[in-house]
Amino acid sequence: MDNELFMNTELPPPSEMAMHFEQPSSSSAMLNWGLMDPNLARNSPPQDCFMWEKSTEQQQSIFDSALSSLVSSPTPSTSNFSGGGGDGFIIRELIGKLGNIGNTSGDIYGAPMNGNVSRSASCYATPMSSPPPMMNRTAPLTEFSGDPGFAERAAKFSCFGSRSFNGRTNSGIPVNNGKIVNSGKLTRVSSTPALKALASPEFASASRPMIPAGDSPPKLPGEFSRKRKSVSKGKSKDNPLPAASPSPSFSKTAERKEVSEEKGGKRRREDEGEEEEGNKGGNDTKPPEPPKDYIHVRARRGQATDSHSLAERVRREKIGERMKLLQDLVPGCNKVTGKALMLDEIINYVQSLQRQVEFLSMKLSSVNDTRLEFNVDALVSKDAMISSSGSRVHESGLQLESLSHHNYNNNSQLHTNVSSNNMMLHSPMKSLEPSALARGFTHLPTLTQFTDTISQYQMFSEEDLQSIVGMGVAHNPNHESQSQNMKIEL
Amino acid sequence: MASADKPINTDVPEKDVFALHFLQSLSNLRRQNTFDSPEKTNDRVKKIKKAAYVSMARAAGGTNRLWSRALLRRAAKENNKVVRFPRRKKRVTCLRRRSNRRDPVEEEEAERLRNLVPGGGGMGTSKLMEETAHYIKCLSMQVKVMQCLVDGLAPK
Repeated sequence: MDNELFMNTELPPPSEMAMHFEQPSSSSAMLNWGLMDPNLARNSPPQDCFMWEKSTEQQQSIFDSALSSLVSSPTPSTSNFSGGGGDGFIIRELIGKLGNIGNTSGDIYGAPMNGNVSRSASCYATPMSSPPPMMNRTAPLTEFSGDPGFAERAAKFSCFGSRSFNGRTNSGIPVNNGKIVNSGKLTRVSSTPALKALASPEFASASRPMIPAGDSPPKLPGEFSRKRKSVSKGKSKDNPLPAASPSPSFSKTAERKEVSEEKGGKRRREDEGEEEEGNKGGNDTKPPEPPKDYIHVRARRGQATDSHSLAERVRREKIGERMKLLQDLVPGCNKVTGKALMLDEIINYVQSLQRQVEFLSMKLSSVNDTRLEFNVDALVSKDAMISSSGSRVHESGLQLESLSHHNYNNNSQLHTNVSSNNMMLHSPMKSLEPSALARGFTHLPTLTQFTDTISQYQMFSEEDLQSIVGMGVAHNPNHESQSQNMKIEL
Repeated sequence: MASADKPINTDVPEKDVFALHFLQSLSNLRRQNTFDSPEKTNDRVKKIKKAAYVSMARAAGGTNRLWSRALLRRAAKENNKVVRFPRRKKRVTCLRRRSNRRDPVEEEEAERLRNLVPGGGGMGTSKLMEETAHYIKCLSMQVKVMQCLVDGLAPK
């Protein structure tokens, strides 16, 4: 892969395509990045660097200065993978240098990224032939530059280190700074904790021009998502959001992240308000040690500070918070504002749900026929399959569909199969699905999921089984068959 | 002030948990009765409905939720069974202050909500909202499960 990397350099992209690949200088790194990017994008499989393929070389060049400082020592590994993998590897190295093991990047990234991270991890593990010293220096950079999205990410993270790295910004990438990709593309990038770790101290300076927002102190990677939002909003909060917020937010869009940050910010404000010494009101104050017993509220400016109004305010806030929660649940509540109207909506929704339950139960009661038996058996057999095989949701779904259209005789077949409780179920089952009924059984896959849980519940005794089957099928009374035969009989 | 959980937890289990419980209850029903008599349709409907609610309560919160507890208690009372719930350790809460806690407008709505949500009578407004949120989630889950079942069983 190193060769690939190097070969890529021979296709100079339009900008800064000085093929100074061999020069161990920041400028070369920059150039290398520029060179590498399009080639890397071509070479690496999409999922490898789904983010990295996007940016232009200009973006990457931003980081060369920062990276060069990082990659002072020859890195022992150049990615043998495609550029995307190499990028990941470089990043990991950098992370390691920064003292942050970018292991979390695997978690942080969404599904598509996991492959990338794992690849980088693997390339980390694989013994890389160390390139020539020069390459050691530059190759990581080039690999790094191969990460198109890195610039974006760095830009996103620039808020972290922008203040402290002012001097570094001008370390020789004057050209590229202006061409930095707009931060509009940063939405996806920010989720990388690895990048955060890297970017926050190092690339903040480089990417600073990209970020319109002002300075903010460098933050831990975990707080990046929060910081970014606060930066963009012009405020800076130091309290970390709940730890859960970074990871789930990573895979979301920026808006959602903003929403979560919004909520987190809101909570933080509440926390701040509440965790402060509650002596302002003069009452309900207690040492913060048992914070769960008391909410410490700081009286706001211009508001009454007696205990009643404080408590009232807290209570109102709580209710307001819950109303927001409910607003998300109830569809079509976004336009409605005000507690009364909202409550009306909520009440209507609850009533409609309850009516739906009643209506559906009526329908279910009318369905009571052999068809239920079929499905029960199908479900049961599916359950058996699942328990035996592990996860054959789709298969069983299909078979269930087919089963539902067979007469009861087939059920007996199924039952015997079920009782046998082995993989042989599949073949007979398959024979039963001549006509793949892709009819309204879309739910079956979902139902199949629960059969997994069903198998864990050995709820039904054997006699239940037999009564349900109605065939007196002598099945193996092993616990597994019992669990399988959650014969849902109606 | 009552204690506050910072993140209000309204997680509900996956759909399959609901489905499992519901199907179990349905099979129980099947076992108990002969469902073939058309005269007893109404009864059947009621039974199924009750089974749906009870299974939902079990699936969703067990006894961790006020509404599910109330539901189960109510169902048990109908069956003349006594249900005991393990008493949770009572958290230390200071006495509620009788300040203008209840807004008349809001109270009217809250009253309606209390009538709808099982167990709503004994809850304050904020707690009520929490329970309502969870209840709504569970209800929608249950509706989905039942809809799936109906679709599957009555394809036409």
